[in-house]
Amino acid sequence: MIIHFSVNGRDVERDVRGDERAVDIIREDLGLTGTKEGCGTGECGACAVLMNGRARLSCLTLAAQLDGAVLTTIEGLGTPDRPHPLQRAFAEHGAVQCGFCTPGMVVAAADLLARNPAPSRDDIREGLSGNLCRCTGYSRILDAVEKAGR
Amino acid sequence: MPHGPYDIGPARPRLDALSKACGAERFSTDHYPPGMLWAGVRRAGVPHGLIREIDTARAASLPGVRRVLTRADVPGANRQGIVHKDMPVLCGSRVRHAGDPVALVVADSRDVLRRALELVRVSIDPLPAVCDVDTALAENAPLLHPEHGSNLLLAAEILKGDAEASLKKCDVILEETFFTPSQAHAFLETENGLARMDEDGVLHMTVSTQAPFRDRFEIGHALGLAPWKIRIESPFLGGGFGGKDGSTVQCLLGLAAMRLPGRWIKMWWDREESFLAGYKRHAARMEYTLGAMADGTLEALRCRLWYDSGAYAHLGGEIMELGMEHAAGPYRIGSMDCRGWCVYTNNPVAGAFRGFGVAQVSFAFEGMMDRLADRLGRDRLDLRRQNALRRGDRNCSGVTLTSSTGLDECLRRLREDELWTSRQAWKKAAPRFTRRGVGVAAVFNGMGYGRGLADNAIAKIELTPEGHFTIYSGVSDMGQGNASTYAQIAGETLCQDAGRLRVVQPDTELAHPSGSASAGRTTYTFGKALIQACELMASKLIRRAALALMIDEPGGFALVPGAVRHLPTGRELPLSALGAMLTRDDRICVAEYLMPVSREVPDTGKDFALGFPHLIFPYAAHLVRIEIDELTGAVRVCDYLAATDGGRVLNPQNFHQQIEGGVAQGLGFALMEDFATSNGQVATRDLSTYLIPTCMDLPDTRSLAVETLEHSGPFGMKGVGEVGLNGPLPAVASALSDALGGYAVRAPITPETVLHLLSAGARA
Amino acid sequence: MRSVHLPSSLDALWPLLDDPQARVMAGGTDLLVGLRAGLPAGPICCLERIPALRGVSVSGRIVRIGAAATLTELLESEDIAAGLPLLRASVRRLGSPLVRNQATLGGNVCTASPAGDTLPALYALGATLELASRSSTRAVPVEDFITGPGRTVLRPGEILAAVCVPLPESGAIQHFEKIGRRRALAISVASLAACLELDGGRIRRISLALGSVAPTVLRCREAEAWLTGRELTADNLTQAAELVRAAVRPVSDVRATADYRRQASANLLLRLEAHRP
Repeated sequence: MIIHFSVNGRDVERDVRGDERAVDIIREDLGLTGTKEGCGTGECGACAVLMNGRARLSCLTLAAQLDGAVLTTIEGLGTPDRPHPLQRAFAEHGAVQCGFCTPGMVVAAADLLARNPAPSRDDIREGLSGNLCRCTGYSRILDAVEKAGR
Repeated sequence: MPHGPYDIGPARPRLDALSKACGAERFSTDHYPPGMLWAGVRRAGVPHGLIREIDTARAASLPGVRRVLTRADVPGANRQGIVHKDMPVLCGSRVRHAGDPVALVVADSRDVLRRALELVRVSIDPLPAVCDVDTALAENAPLLHPEHGSNLLLAAEILKGDAEASLKKCDVILEETFFTPSQAHAFLETENGLARMDEDGVLHMTVSTQAPFRDRFEIGHALGLAPWKIRIESPFLGGGFGGKDGSTVQCLLGLAAMRLPGRWIKMWWDREESFLAGYKRHAARMEYTLGAMADGTLEALRCRLWYDSGAYAHLGGEIMELGMEHAAGPYRIGSMDCRGWCVYTNNPVAGAFRGFGVAQVSFAFEGMMDRLADRLGRDRLDLRRQNALRRGDRNCSGVTLTSSTGLDECLRRLREDELWTSRQAWKKAAPRFTRRGVGVAAVFNGMGYGRGLADNAIAKIELTPEGHFTIYSGVSDMGQGNASTYAQIAGETLCQDAGRLRVVQPDTELAHPSGSASAGRTTYTFGKALIQACELMASKLIRRAALALMIDEPGGFALVPGAVRHLPTGRELPLSALGAMLTRDDRICVAEYLMPVSREVPDTGKDFALGFPHLIFPYAAHLVRIEIDELTGAVRVCDYLAATDGGRVLNPQNFHQQIEGGVAQGLGFALMEDFATSNGQVATRDLSTYLIPTCMDLPDTRSLAVETLEHSGPFGMKGVGEVGLNGPLPAVASALSDALGGYAVRAPITPETVLHLLSAGARA
Repeated sequence: MRSVHLPSSLDALWPLLDDPQARVMAGGTDLLVGLRAGLPAGPICCLERIPALRGVSVSGRIVRIGAAATLTELLESEDIAAGLPLLRASVRRLGSPLVRNQATLGGNVCTASPAGDTLPALYALGATLELASRSSTRAVPVEDFITGPGRTVLRPGEILAAVCVPLPESGAIQHFEKIGRRRALAISVASLAACLELDGGRIRRISLALGSVAPTVLRCREAEAWLTGRELTADNLTQAAELVRAAVRPVSDVRATADYRRQASANLLLRLEAHRP
């Protein structure tokens, strides 16, 4: 089926199959590989994207559901030349080790800060509780979001 | 690129951090070359059996399927492995675990691949499966590797003194048996790679791997290819922790590429396949008998260790070796009789995992120390300090510690910390339905390969025509940040800014063999080589500059950011000028370094071909405060403090990141991770049943660097990649016994265990 | 080849459900995981764009929650925060924020897992489910809606349209606790949802619903009856816990043993002591 949506401010049209997932369209079709896949079952958060302003799991979103949506991926939040404050904070505060969880973390954090601009550390913990990280133990990620929030 | 100094000492942010945070850094998973095909594996599904028939016809005739390959299509030895080559690329006659690969399908799309894999018909006549070490070692047990003669991969002993005789003289003898589970690495980026065989017969591979150079030999042996006709690129890994050390997808991809030359072929294990087919930590059983004197002196340890290797060897012998070498803990002890058996079973394959055999015995030796302290009425920290190894001592394997040994200072820092000094008051203040406990653990973890395998690295640095420096890393960066540390080493040695430093991730065509990203060696060995290469570079650039400036001798020069400066005259030659004038050959410097090994040749440990003994050890002391819920048995980790001796700290951020991450994995190992199988079938198949800690489950670990000077290391450091993981399980067990009086002997420490200890305590 | 439909009204939905193979999907966090494991092909009808199935409203003493309202919307609802803190607490422990941004109350109910996080609260609060089809609507108490693990009384062509929860008496105490193997993204090992009305320290009315200890949520009526009229004390709760222990029918699985579930779920009653005035 033909779908129309906008991704990172750009309007696109695609012909997608019923079985295709949003994460496949994003990574393979659109070439936006910043969004990762870690499990395919919604347990790790690495595939998080902003859809109509809210973070959701692109591995548990059908491509068809993108029709009419406004999609923002990690690349749409910022680039190395013009990073989003969260991206800069993650890099500066040692919140990045292997970096595979990082895009999903940043997206979830962006959603959190949009709704709660001055979250407590506990709020941040709860807000990122759906994003697994195997490298960092999370403390520096929480630090980065705290600092970016201010 | 940020500008500014990129030197040793300050907490410089990593060079790759921003790119990763923006999703711009491409991992191995992130490559989708046009015209690419997908490869996938059909696996045995049963833990042990003889293959009667593999019918590939229906799968092969599905539109979009390019090839369906079986054992007959594998040239070469059809055996992969790091040391022991005992693992088939594709099984021909026998399957030895439920994840054993039986057929390889290559198709146009993932969708076709999935359907084709279902259409492969595999008939296996089941054989009795041996799914634990005792069954595998029993007389008349079915053999996984009949040519090997038994299910014993390796039996070994490490003997120091006469433990049996010493035990008889001890005032106190304590006995206990401990169990640790299999653990999954659960890296966020699962096993994956791409391969293409070009027109010249060169196999190109981009793969998430900890050992790109060694992979060529593993692939070469398995598939009958010349290793130098294999080019492997190793981008940043999305986590490794040991699970990507040794061929995972590599031989399978190589096979597919050979059979479909000219095409890019991608393989990416989904999470369920990673759990089934990927490597795991060895589950272990450890029987300990510790003898000590009334004054707290450790006299003798008798221990028997069983490590479950699963169906293939991977590094089982070496892992057990390291555990045995650490078996009595970081303490002075008069004698040790340690025997170990690494056993083949029909369980999924065990392999390298951070804490490499030592995470297991740490639970045991620290558990014994707590029991001893309690029996003697001694403070648990004081008893450890009394016995802590010091430089010049012999460790439990009889090896002299000539290198930095900072454990006592780590323990002292714990002792004076408020978390320890306030512990009684803190425990008394426990709220309703809550019990509190404070636990400690002293741990260590030998660095490097040990004797028998050259721990060698070759560093290459190039001055570019523009006057920048490119460092050709030979060691994969799986998140530990060694790539950035190499830049810092170059920045320090050459006095250059971050903007002039670039690190290229390992490419076997461009860099030189430098060993695996493992064993806590990734900064140490390559770092030492790189310092030398940078010194050669500096010296060369100075001499070239002297010539160019017509100054007749090279004394009095220094490198400054962007230039070479003659200090007496102030004259400078920009690096860009040097870059322009030198030929490529002259712009490159190469140096190598071999990690020192112990000069001692103990008259024991002879069963180990390699690994024994180690020379250099980081040390750590950990403290944890936990709360136990009396109603549910849930354990909450309130506070965690780690004091670590890693020699000198080159970059505090990178140092503490390793400790924090190791502690996180260790707490998972302590409280919730159990890779469970039942009769060889995986019970924890995905991330909903195999649980790793979320950010709600962990405290903010406080990490202290206790600096010693490791003379042999680059700028005085030694590697701390592994030691952090070894502390949490014994520390939590220590806190548990502090709170409840009863001791845990099995990991993970589950709410069930806690409720049992609570009710046992209530009855007592 | 699977087809996916995104109807924007109930009228557009009904014809799609004439196909017996059609499945409805709201958040997708259960269905799409199931598809990955290999459910049969068939059309998928997404419900998220149908306004009639969304929103939270209060009418009289009833809170009506659209079946396709996301769990995050429930957490952001002031009506639910004020009137149904028990439901809010349950939703807060479900999955993760990312899951909750797309998952729905309707989905959690219709999946009808023995471990469904919202179910004990709905049972304790006496929720009624509004089922709708092309031709009719009917109301079914939540206790009658779920008949077994994964089984509901939904008929072909019928969907869950809304969950209607009566507001407890003002001053009622609403209590929830979930036991999981970790503190987020955890399938419930056992949970307790309770709603109590007190006269001073005496229990006038109490509902106790336990999750993950039986094929469906268990309303512990013996324990409720025993506690009614008695003081809210540790001793009484301990006695009532024995009745709960006898009533539960848990299984052993990879997360916990039956013994643990039996012991821990009953222990959860003791926590109610904290509400003694």
